[in-house]
Amino acid sequence: MTGEFAVVMQVGEFVPRGTRQAVFQQIYWVFLVLGTLVGVVVVGYMLYLAVAYRAGPDEADDDGRPKLGEIPQGGGKGRKLFLSFALSAVIVISLIVWTYGTLLFVEQPASAQEQEELEVEVTGRQFQWVFTYPNGHQTTGELRVPKDTRVRLGVTSADVFPNFGIPALRAKTDAIPGQTSDTWFMAEETGTYAAHCYELCGSGHSDMNADVVVMEEEEFQQWYENTSNGSENGNGNGNESA
Amino acid sequence: MDTKLYTAIYVVLFVAATAQVLVEFAGLAYWTALAIIMVLSLGKAVLVAAYYQHLRYEPRSVTYVMVSGLLAALALTLAAAYSIT
Amino acid sequence: MTGDTTDDTDDPRPGGETSGSADGESTRGDGGTATVGDLPTTAPDEDHEHGLPPKSSIKRWLVTTNHKDVGILYIVTSLFFLIFGGVLAMLIRVQLLEPGGTILSDMAYNQAVTVHGLLMVFWFLSPFAFGFANYIVPLQLGADDLAFPRLNALSYWLYLVSGLLLAISFFQGNSFSGGWTMYAPLNVPVYTPSVGATTTVFALLLFTASVTVGSVNFLTTMHRMRAEGMTLRRMPLFTWSILLTVWMMLFAFAALLAALMILSADRVLGTMYFATESPGGSLLWTHLFWFFGHPEVYIVFFPALGAMAEIFQTFTGRRLVGRKWFIGAMLLVALQSFVVWMHHMFLTSINLQIKTLFMATTIGISLPFDLMVFALIYTMIKGRIRFSTPFLFAFGGLVLFILGGITGVFLGAVVLDYEFRGTYWVVAHFHYVMVGGVTGLVGGLYYWYPKITGKMYDEFLGKVHFGLYFVGFNLLYFPMFVAWETPRRVFDYPEAFVGWHQVATVGAFVLGVSFLVMFYNLYASLISGEDADACPWAYGSTAEWAVPSPPPLENFPGRPSYGGGALEFLDRGRTTTDGGETEAATDGGVKAGGHGHGHEEVSHASIWPFAIGIASLFVLVGLSGVRTGNVAYPATFVGGLILLLYTLVAMTRESFHGPSGPFGESWPFEGVENTKLGMWLFLGSDVVLFGAFIGSYVFTRVAYGWQAWHVVPHDPIPGLMNTYILLTSSFAVVLAMVAAQKGNRNGVVASLAVTLLLGIGFLGNKGIEWWELYHEGEWVATSIETSTFYLTTGLHAAHVIVGLIIAVYMLVRAWNGAYLDDDRPVEYFGLYWHFVDIVWLFLFPLFYIL
Repeated sequence: MTGEFAVVMQVGEFVPRGTRQAVFQQIYWVFLVLGTLVGVVVVGYMLYLAVAYRAGPDEADDDGRPKLGEIPQGGGKGRKLFLSFALSAVIVISLIVWTYGTLLFVEQPASAQEQEELEVEVTGRQFQWVFTYPNGHQTTGELRVPKDTRVRLGVTSADVFPNFGIPALRAKTDAIPGQTSDTWFMAEETGTYAAHCYELCGSGHSDMNADVVVMEEEEFQQWYENTSNGSENGNGNGNESA
Repeated sequence: MDTKLYTAIYVVLFVAATAQVLVEFAGLAYWTALAIIMVLSLGKAVLVAAYYQHLRYEPRSVTYVMVSGLLAALALTLAAAYSIT
Repeated sequence: MTGDTTDDTDDPRPGGETSGSADGESTRGDGGTATVGDLPTTAPDEDHEHGLPPKSSIKRWLVTTNHKDVGILYIVTSLFFLIFGGVLAMLIRVQLLEPGGTILSDMAYNQAVTVHGLLMVFWFLSPFAFGFANYIVPLQLGADDLAFPRLNALSYWLYLVSGLLLAISFFQGNSFSGGWTMYAPLNVPVYTPSVGATTTVFALLLFTASVTVGSVNFLTTMHRMRAEGMTLRRMPLFTWSILLTVWMMLFAFAALLAALMILSADRVLGTMYFATESPGGSLLWTHLFWFFGHPEVYIVFFPALGAMAEIFQTFTGRRLVGRKWFIGAMLLVALQSFVVWMHHMFLTSINLQIKTLFMATTIGISLPFDLMVFALIYTMIKGRIRFSTPFLFAFGGLVLFILGGITGVFLGAVVLDYEFRGTYWVVAHFHYVMVGGVTGLVGGLYYWYPKITGKMYDEFLGKVHFGLYFVGFNLLYFPMFVAWETPRRVFDYPEAFVGWHQVATVGAFVLGVSFLVMFYNLYASLISGEDADACPWAYGSTAEWAVPSPPPLENFPGRPSYGGGALEFLDRGRTTTDGGETEAATDGGVKAGGHGHGHEEVSHASIWPFAIGIASLFVLVGLSGVRTGNVAYPATFVGGLILLLYTLVAMTRESFHGPSGPFGESWPFEGVENTKLGMWLFLGSDVVLFGAFIGSYVFTRVAYGWQAWHVVPHDPIPGLMNTYILLTSSFAVVLAMVAAQKGNRNGVVASLAVTLLLGIGFLGNKGIEWWELYHEGEWVATSIETSTFYLTTGLHAAHVIVGLIIAVYMLVRAWNGAYLDDDRPVEYFGLYWHFVDIVWLFLFPLFYIL
């Protein structure tokens, strides 16, 4: 199975890659356009049939119509049925298979090693997000990251089962106690983005937000170096990799 | 049905249960012992179901119902355990 | 539960002897057949109700066991819960009028969201569908009633009581507030400490019990009691959809039962399965829940699909195109529904291989639906389509389902799912699918209303209802797609979406008002509607339209048969109910009595299902607060338990005669008499229950590190002793059965006594073992190892205790000479007892040796 996909993936342009925002946009729009098209065609056809075959005043022949007490049986032939079934199957399967290449890329973006990466550990607790940087520095409710750098998040939870997501950057994953789920993102513009909780986690769920501050690289480096010696509450959870 | 048959099965079950504990004390490699013990359990279960519950003499469909339940539970167990990273 | 399963043994002869059933035709040659055309079309007189109080009497509704009455009870009750859940939905929508909320506190909002979900999925949708299933399926099959009428009533009362428990939970601090998916570890008392939350879990537990009893009953009925010529392949589509639904229910709800039992233990006994510290605890819940949860999607949708198919056929005047492929597609979906559950977990820490696998199965399950949708659409071709209210709703439901399906494909692409997870895209998608299903069922409500009430609804108001409903629905749910980036179950959202959420709120009220129109229409028509014919619809073809509206208590004017190529009612010929005078009939202790009593002897009333429901209420309310220290709780619990035991014994002892053979078609269970099949089906669900318990243990142990695990009992010898004891007791039950077959009373009594003593010995041995472990500081809440050990072997011990209670009952009866001319009760008890034995054969190595 993977062999086939590998071939497809070599067609370069065909499989969306890049930032998660770009990847999502591309796939989402293809789905949306095709989905709308299929929806309009199918529902339109239904409406057409409903109008075309509405009961008229001619109540003449009842041949071939269901009769009371008959043994239930099928009507019509299945040819058209299978044709449309095959068509829909082709659309659905090719769409999903197409996105599978992107899934592999999203899961394993390792091929793009041109940049350095930042790895941050995210811990959810009722009802805030705690970010631990490689140097052990911890912040609560605010994640600072450099622009144009792949930021890998290892997300876990200290109590319940929330879900950490930054909608604008298309990064999201579950925060499960005792488990670490990974996700990543790359911001192309500086600014402050909102992060939310996407799984009901208790009374404060609606307000369990955090800010993601994307900074110019030098600016970030400056800030980051200051944290290493004088971190507020950083007592290093032993995050070894950078 | 034949009481003798029932008795014979009872004896086999008794011996198999004893064998399971003996296997444990035999000092085999852990996973070998596990495999042998589970196979013995499965064998005993099949004997009880086939003869004491007369599944052998019922329409095969009854067996299929039970096997479906077993497969569902196995699917859950194996896929869930396999999914652990 | 098992006590009940053995008691309905009223079927006087095993079905195997009856399959030919040619006798009905031969006995009365004098034209004892009626073709469908010349049937009486008026409802029968009220005095022809077989000892049931009239419908105007409240007592009737407490004691009735008739499938049509129970169906009405289900429909009415589910509509009540629709209002309950709908009001909560209104609260949610009002809260969302502006970001940050308007009227509800955080906790109130979380409860509203949670209970709305629970009510709609569990207490409205399925029971609504099962109201129709109860009413219509036996008619479509050609059965006089369900196989176990009292168990059917019991299902209903357990359902109602479970709903009451949910309502009560609001008055115990607060109700459950962790979402209808009840994710762990938010669902354990550390995070949701309220007693009401525990009661909510119990409510669901009881609901699950009701569903399990119901599925055993339906499966037995549908497989064993079809009219002659009504083979499985020929069953009407609604009946097909219900058959597959109940099969899924039997297994899926058993997994939910396991999840809820473990959760209850975590909440009441202090086990640690789902605790934050438990290795894999959170994931374990998601696996158990979604293993149930995905089949559940089809469990609530299939009946709607079946109803839509029936309505399409009737109102287009066409038979379903590709009917056998349609059925095949449903069958495929039912099977596949058990292997797609992890697509709800794509963002958890499951590995890529398994994600790929479940992505593939998910595509696989979406395809059969395409086929079903196209089959419905093509059925309209060359039709003579009448836009009556049922068709409008079925047609509208199909449109909504198509939109739900298309948006579902988005979710099937894992990369998109990563972004849609936890957002309003998911909310909008499943409301289009599920409420799309509701739309089809509302169509069913209008479709079968004349059949059930004998009155015609008001067509104009019906169309008004549809108009408001369809507009309201789309105003409500479509904006959710547009504002999909709103996080789910959150009332704080970006300003940009305010407009869309306000439109949705308006839509919610329009949808709500549309239901007021429906309630008014149905109520007013009941009082002053026109009388409905037996078949008010042109091209109605299934059997329910061939009997008067409403059908008489005994359903058919004769024995229904399709043997001649179409439905006809043959002379009943040799009647089949037994004498009925003998008290001993309760346990199947009576052989086929005799002839000629006719239909009059069939029982339709029993107060005990209702009483058992009440007893269950006390048991669970009492249990909910045992840890609060308030003595009223344990007192209620103990009182309830005594009442429960009393009512169970009373129901078992009651003389009650359900429908009896001969039945026409019983494939594939010819020769497996009803009660025996019921027992086997119950055991089938019990396999999944124990399987899920053992699976939970295996999963937790793998997550923990298999060999690092501390095996709780340090010595396998007590376990081995108990294995010997159980094996011997199984042998003793076999001997009891052999003795009963030989008519040897002393043999039966002695063997049962030995079984009882061995069972007590098993429990005693276990008690000593637990006592010692307790004194070594290894108790239930000590560690995850002890939690799994005590709970799994404890569940097994509970099965042993239930078995022993039945054994005591049977011992008393055996002493008085029962079972000598009919050994089946002993045999069926044996099935249960051997099953308990088999379970131990696996628990012993898993918990004692490995």
